[in-house]
Amino acid sequence: MQWSDLVVPRCHPREVRLVIATCSVDYDGRLTAHLPLATRLLMVKADGSISIHADDRAYKPLNWMNPPCKIVEEPDRWVVSTPKGEKLTITIEEIHADLNHELGVDPGLQKDGVEAHLQELLAANCTTLAEGLILVRREYPTDIGPVDLLCRDANGAAVAVEIKRMGDIAGVEQLVRYLERLDLDGRLRPVRGIFAAQTIKPQAKVLAAARGITCVEVDYDTLRGIEKDSLTLF
Amino acid sequence: MKFRCERDVLVEALGTATRAVASRGGALPVLSGVKADLTGDRLVLTGSDLDLTIQVAITVAGQQDGVAVLPARLAADIVRALGPGAVHIDAEGDEAQISSGRSEFAVRLLPAEDFPRLPETPGDEVTLDAAAFEEALKQVVRAASHDDARPILTGVLMAAEGDGLRLVATDSYRLAVRDLPGTTVLREGQTVLVPSKALGELTRVLSGAETVRLRLAERDATFEVGETKLTTRLIEGEFPNYRQLIPNTHPNRLTVGREPLLEALRRVKLLAREATPVRISLKADGIELTAITQDVGQAHEDLDAKYEGTEMVIAFNPEYLADGVEAVKGDEVTLETVDALKPAVVKSVESQDYLYLLMPVRVS
Repeated sequence: MQWSDLVVPRCHPREVRLVIATCSVDYDGRLTAHLPLATRLLMVKADGSISIHADDRAYKPLNWMNPPCKIVEEPDRWVVSTPKGEKLTITIEEIHADLNHELGVDPGLQKDGVEAHLQELLAANCTTLAEGLILVRREYPTDIGPVDLLCRDANGAAVAVEIKRMGDIAGVEQLVRYLERLDLDGRLRPVRGIFAAQTIKPQAKVLAAARGITCVEVDYDTLRGIEKDSLTLF
Repeated sequence: MKFRCERDVLVEALGTATRAVASRGGALPVLSGVKADLTGDRLVLTGSDLDLTIQVAITVAGQQDGVAVLPARLAADIVRALGPGAVHIDAEGDEAQISSGRSEFAVRLLPAEDFPRLPETPGDEVTLDAAAFEEALKQVVRAASHDDARPILTGVLMAAEGDGLRLVATDSYRLAVRDLPGTTVLREGQTVLVPSKALGELTRVLSGAETVRLRLAERDATFEVGETKLTTRLIEGEFPNYRQLIPNTHPNRLTVGREPLLEALRRVKLLAREATPVRISLKADGIELTAITQDVGQAHEDLDAKYEGTEMVIAFNPEYLADGVEAVKGDEVTLETVDALKPAVVKSVESQDYLYLLMPVRVS
């Protein structure tokens, strides 16, 4: 039997289960810990994880077990164990609520300033990146994926722009790969690279400089035309 | 290469040269090292990141001439950790022995042949008063930007102004201008842009010195202080037209004690967190400093001051304001404004050779 097969019997594999119970909890593993008797929320997620919450701040659980874990449910006791030998014993005095619900696929966190919006803003304001830059196309295709912007500079030379919210080494390497592919196209060669991000990590700047790529940190608020409280002299 | 040297002398020399050593070797790993060049009893230590180079010459008891590149930070840490007294360094092949008393270290050397040959700066030498230059640099370098994305603003403009030298720096939020009358370094109309990082390092070297010798070339500047030589690449590009930023008229003028204002700022800014500005309420009978940070708290302090003009509330980044007030000489400072959204000028009551222009912060 696989560990992943052993989930709470009452919880459908794709459902999250919420139980409000008066319970005490004992953890035995890297250390021992005890939660005295109180009313708490027990959450069993579809991935097999279990977490125990108190009604206190939107912070982290009082105790939790990451998947894969085996949950054996008895009338007054749940025993949760992991292959590492950790054991969580939840002694239940009373169950106040118990429900299952399938949440479906989560679209993920969407933050303000996502790359797509930055790309849109920079496509409309190419000169923010370099003087005289003119947009050729957004999402310019290469055989390893599209580069965010392809532009021409004031001298007509091709410029590939990769845009990130946070510029790290992986982003620079991605642009290097695009430049290699674009350089194979005689109509574009030689293609210069610009790595644009709201913040660029120092290591990424070093790598970009070594690869002859220009780094540009862009101000999202300024691009959106939002007036900043910090006024500048020029 | 083999020599003997007092630990404290070597610690200081290594510490100075290492300040120019690249934090990461980058394309040239040898630049993470400090080059030691021994001729007779003269040891020259060189650290460089190619933009900034610092050479320090010291007198040692030389035993065998030679050149070696020691791993800079490791060598500095080892020598600093040794007990007081003589330190022996013996570099041969690809290893150096560093020993003192009963301590002995063997460290792998970097290939000396890879260390770049650093060009000499041509040009006429000009001698400046070290103390005055150091003071001027400390007043101006603080206003330079640290943002490498705007390299021009990371420099300090040196320009001929009247019969003297003018130093200017700005990070776009503030501007510092200092005149050194009677100091002739540049031809009329000539300007150079020197990296503020290099000038920051120079102020450390200048401390306690009497004179500094300066040579300017098209791409480099060299400053020599005693046996220490600092060479920096100049920044190319057009410095912003700063003159047009300085308001001609200032209808509102605050005169306040420099030290009381600095102390009040230090206290009030404890409650100015996360880029919260300090608000200054300007009134004829004095000023009130206020800082309010949501979910944290607020601070108020009243200060005696003389104010002529329209009563208003003006807000500043407290760090930037404190930087300007601190840089001004004398017991009293003036803060001249047009309105709460125009740049304010911080100056000394006693001296007119320094000006600090500061942009306010918009508050509701």
